[in-house]
Amino acid sequence: MTSVAATRRRLALSRFWADFRKHRAGMIGLGILVVAVVLALVAPLFISEDVTSVVRGTGEKWAPPSLSEPFGTDESGRSILLMVWWGSRTSLLIGFLAALLSIVIGLVVGVAAGHFRGWLGGALMRVTDWFLVLPSLVTALVLAAILGGSTFTIIMAIGITTWPSTARLIRAQTLSVEARPYIERSKALGAGHWHITTRHVLPNVAPLLLASTTLEVASAIVTESTLAFLGASANKTSWGTMLRGSYDYGAATQGAWWYILIPGLAILAVVMAFTLVGRALEAVLNPRLRRAA
Amino acid sequence: MTTPLEAAEPAVAQAAGPGDDRSTGRGTLQYALSKAGGALFSIAMVIVGTFFLFRLLPGDPVRNLAQGRNMTPAQLDLERRRLGLDKPLIDQFFDFVGDTLRLDLGTSYEYKRPVLDLIGERLGPTLLLAGTGLVIAVSLGIWQGARAGWRHGSRFDRFSTGASLVLWSVPTFWLGLLLMMVFGVGIGPIPGLFPFRGIESVDAPDGFAYLLDVASHMVLPCLTLVAVVYAQYLLVMRSSLLEEVSQDYVTVARAKGLTDDDVRRRHAMPNALLPTVTLVFMRVGFVVGGAVTVETIYTWPGLGQLFYEAVRVPDFTLMQGTFMLITVAVILMNTLADVVYHVLDPRVRAA
Amino acid sequence: MSKWFARLAALGVALLVAGQGATAALAQDPAAGKKTVRVGATQAMDSMNPFLAVRLVSTSIHRWMYGYLTVPDSKTLQPSPDLAESWTTSEDGLTWTFKIRAAKWSDGKPVTADDAAWTFNKMMTDEAAKTANGPAVENFESVTASGQDLTIKLKAPQASMLDNPVPIMPKHAWESVTDMANYDAEKYPTVSSGPYFAVEHKKDQYVKLQANPNYWRGKPKIDELQVIFYDNPQAAIAGLKNGDIDLIGRLSPPEFQAIQNDPNIEAWNTQGRRAAYLQINHGATTTDDKPVGDGHPALKDVKVRQALHHAIDKQKLVDEVQNGLAKPADGSIVPPMYTDFFWEASGDTKVGYDPAKANQILDDAGYKKGADGVRTMPDGDRKLEFRFSIHTDTPIEDKLAEYLTGFFKEIGITLTTKKLDSSKFSEETGVTGLFDIAISGWSVNPDPEEVFATHLCSRRPAPGGEGGGTESFFCDETFEKLYQEQLKELDRPKRAEILKQMQERLYTQAPIIAIYYPNDLEGYRKDRITSITPIPEDKGLLYGGSGYWPFYTVDVKATATGGGATGGGSNTGLIVGIVGGVVVVGLGAFLLTRRRKSTADERE
Repeated sequence: MTSVAATRRRLALSRFWADFRKHRAGMIGLGILVVAVVLALVAPLFISEDVTSVVRGTGEKWAPPSLSEPFGTDESGRSILLMVWWGSRTSLLIGFLAALLSIVIGLVVGVAAGHFRGWLGGALMRVTDWFLVLPSLVTALVLAAILGGSTFTIIMAIGITTWPSTARLIRAQTLSVEARPYIERSKALGAGHWHITTRHVLPNVAPLLLASTTLEVASAIVTESTLAFLGASANKTSWGTMLRGSYDYGAATQGAWWYILIPGLAILAVVMAFTLVGRALEAVLNPRLRRAA
Repeated sequence: MTTPLEAAEPAVAQAAGPGDDRSTGRGTLQYALSKAGGALFSIAMVIVGTFFLFRLLPGDPVRNLAQGRNMTPAQLDLERRRLGLDKPLIDQFFDFVGDTLRLDLGTSYEYKRPVLDLIGERLGPTLLLAGTGLVIAVSLGIWQGARAGWRHGSRFDRFSTGASLVLWSVPTFWLGLLLMMVFGVGIGPIPGLFPFRGIESVDAPDGFAYLLDVASHMVLPCLTLVAVVYAQYLLVMRSSLLEEVSQDYVTVARAKGLTDDDVRRRHAMPNALLPTVTLVFMRVGFVVGGAVTVETIYTWPGLGQLFYEAVRVPDFTLMQGTFMLITVAVILMNTLADVVYHVLDPRVRAA
Repeated sequence: MSKWFARLAALGVALLVAGQGATAALAQDPAAGKKTVRVGATQAMDSMNPFLAVRLVSTSIHRWMYGYLTVPDSKTLQPSPDLAESWTTSEDGLTWTFKIRAAKWSDGKPVTADDAAWTFNKMMTDEAAKTANGPAVENFESVTASGQDLTIKLKAPQASMLDNPVPIMPKHAWESVTDMANYDAEKYPTVSSGPYFAVEHKKDQYVKLQANPNYWRGKPKIDELQVIFYDNPQAAIAGLKNGDIDLIGRLSPPEFQAIQNDPNIEAWNTQGRRAAYLQINHGATTTDDKPVGDGHPALKDVKVRQALHHAIDKQKLVDEVQNGLAKPADGSIVPPMYTDFFWEASGDTKVGYDPAKANQILDDAGYKKGADGVRTMPDGDRKLEFRFSIHTDTPIEDKLAEYLTGFFKEIGITLTTKKLDSSKFSEETGVTGLFDIAISGWSVNPDPEEVFATHLCSRRPAPGGEGGGTESFFCDETFEKLYQEQLKELDRPKRAEILKQMQERLYTQAPIIAIYYPNDLEGYRKDRITSITPIPEDKGLLYGGSGYWPFYTVDVKATATGGGATGGGSNTGLIVGIVGGVVVVGLGAFLLTRRRKSTADERE
């Protein structure tokens, strides 16, 4: 019994992969992502937090890109290349953790709202709808201002303001899964809420969740940089704080275009990559959209 | 930018979903009333939520309000009494709710003026900027999205989708700074073309010339706002048009011998417009977020800039007031979108 | 396929034309021949009401609008007559009589002692009116007027009486104000007695001031003074480079370097009026001497504080953090520009950069280094790990923190950075004492009394944890005694001597460690401003200075084209824009008509 299911899953997975591979944009995005994540993970093997230290920034200040410094240096003579590399760790970490938080809340609320009909589901949907309309950037700014701008609060602020859309998506999917006859059968066989949600609903919403997650990470990275730029973040070096630094130290008026362009392009590349992968996933998983992509 | 691209779709689908009452005009009224009730409930929750959120602030509220300015104990006591902070929490809560309902949002510590007055002054510029930006973004997005969807796979489609994905991924502030550098300050031999500070010149002329002056100040902020928000309209319009393309009626219309353009304009577009138009209202919160950033970069004297000032100082009374107002406005827009969708959707009406 | 492009282009062109049209309209401004100075500011006015305004930009603008009893002399910075023509003091120093000048308000009404008396009495009786300058009248017993004579009776002698920071307000225009706390004073034109009066204020956008023809020194040389607010400092610098503004003050070192090589801009770099220092929690207490906060116990030891002082390479901080645009501090809280009051350590008292000596001091005092190189307390195993509190939004402090962390590591002390927003920062470092070391600084006025007062016992927070205004939680008997002495000393050189002794006390006890005096960095357009006199006249300050002198003496070229918004580049831009616009519009129109025709054909 189990082995049959496992084989079926494996088959589904390979079919899914075959479908995904057809999306060129998605594959490019996936490639960029893998490179970015691997680079961020191996960074400590080559460089350390020292690259962000102004004390150790021994290079020439405001040096334009050259052979020795491919992306130039900043106001303290630090290498932009190394800082972008090291900063990717913070940006990606915040992106992933905030998305994870958002997905976990969204998943729990979404499944519960779809599974438990009646007043509980209704109440959960009310709450979701309420959070859905809160202007997210404004709310995140208020939260960061009140709770202080640590990495933790930034993650909380992004997570709290972005979960409702996931919740709605998951709820819709849960409703459609639970309408299938085999759920009826399991219920008749005496399956509890836990069994139904974890064994039947969850595996069926998981793929959709994956697509949703990639898009959430993308928006979390952008939100983090925006919060950092608006001065609400007290983080260590991230792409957002680097851009804030370029702004504070007047890179624009100094003509140091590389200081503004490079971190921004890094954000752009990674966010684009996430978005491309997310769209490709959606297209593969959602037959209605299959033609669209 | 802060929410996944296609996220609006379930909301829209839900609005037209099977749970809705889709009968006659009486049904629509009922629907509108129930939505209005929901909106009132949401607004009430915003007020309650704001009260407790701003009581989460660590430390003495009076000190927080005074931003650590030196005050004598007597002055602090006076403030505490004036703000009613010596009363029990429950009384404070009812005072707060009462004041808010009477539209008394308190007095800003930084500007020493009623928050409502400050908001009133800023409303106009924000409506002007966000309104113009929205109109341009929506028309451009719908038009370009429809063309891209109609001929999907074409060069135009690939270009539009690619461009909108790039714009979607760009942080608003970064784009704003780049545009300011290139078109405001000027790079190398290219002189700055547009003003990049405020809504008008200090020595603004009168009459028609004044309108031109304001228009020139609007170019860069508007461009930034449009670039960032229009991508989502394009993408949604494109995908909803894609869905219409395969419908039977389109095939029938073509079979009747109508030209390609006519089929698109008279048949496919009107049907595909609905989700996009609803999205416009649904995503007002997103536009507000963009406005905060854009207004900050270009010193545009709107609500977003006021809110940013409040966060930066930080001036908590002002922050609280602007936060409530922005949120309530967004809730109202969303409710309106729900009802309008219900009224307009031909599928709902036909049933 | 070119159809959509045509439409896009048409839209872009429409915007472009709108923009260029406005620039063209501006160029024909009717204000030709007017002399206008436009000052940029990166902070907007908080209030037009001088009783309430606390932001620096507001107090500066009010200084240009209103007369004071006295002003700092433009050469010596010593108090000199303003609205008070002359003054006398009673034997005991408790009664001051000022003779008010027979000047006129900008609306033509005479300035009388009654105006001054009303201003001070309002502040003494109305809590709300104390918001901006409350401490200035705390020592006043009574203020009375008769004719042009103003009599102020004090509770205790006060040598700094002649540096009173309260602008004198016109009674006839202000006495009808009942609710001072909520009065925004947005009534134009204002009734002023200074060189300028305000005619327009657009919130967060600009203030327009006009030359006051009734000003007692005579009308300023220019006709209009505009202060233009920028949210975005980068935009302000760009504005100066483009010629949108003529002058900007209070620049940060990187901003200053950005304008340094511009041929049209005079980069103004002189000694500043600010001292930057570290505030050390040496055992914070309240006014009843009860300890508050959680300061590290080691910092109670003056030896540890002195060792920290030895470990700081101030020259390196100046070079790296301030880009060389500051002066290392070998003194205390009064910067060298105030030559009368400045004190500098020399000989044995001087604490130089000497990490070896710092290590020696700590070794001798029993702070042993552990295996990890970090020292511990002599009596226990608590490590010497200090927090350094800085502001969230000030990147220069981040840099400072990194250097200090490096310096202190050399002497076996660990420093970690703690970032706080400004309100929490003030609370933790000024009231609750939840810090070890904090960054601080103070802009010093020509009479430095207030900056000394911030280190008095009485400025510590009250037992309830309220009030205060201490900069260090300092409470030192010697310092208190000297402070009382200087209050009574009306002889300026003698008083300066006492103030120097107080600075020496602060230097050796080290509740604060001065690190550097940042330079005053400003910039103005040489091609517009023809003359401007700083204060003090010899290598002084412009916008950053105290008093209206630079803006009273400023002269500019009369504007031929009025606004002159984009300077030299605007014409080229205009031509390029218009030509380009016309071409693209023509192209777009052509394509559009063609398209219309083709669809019309298709339809038939």
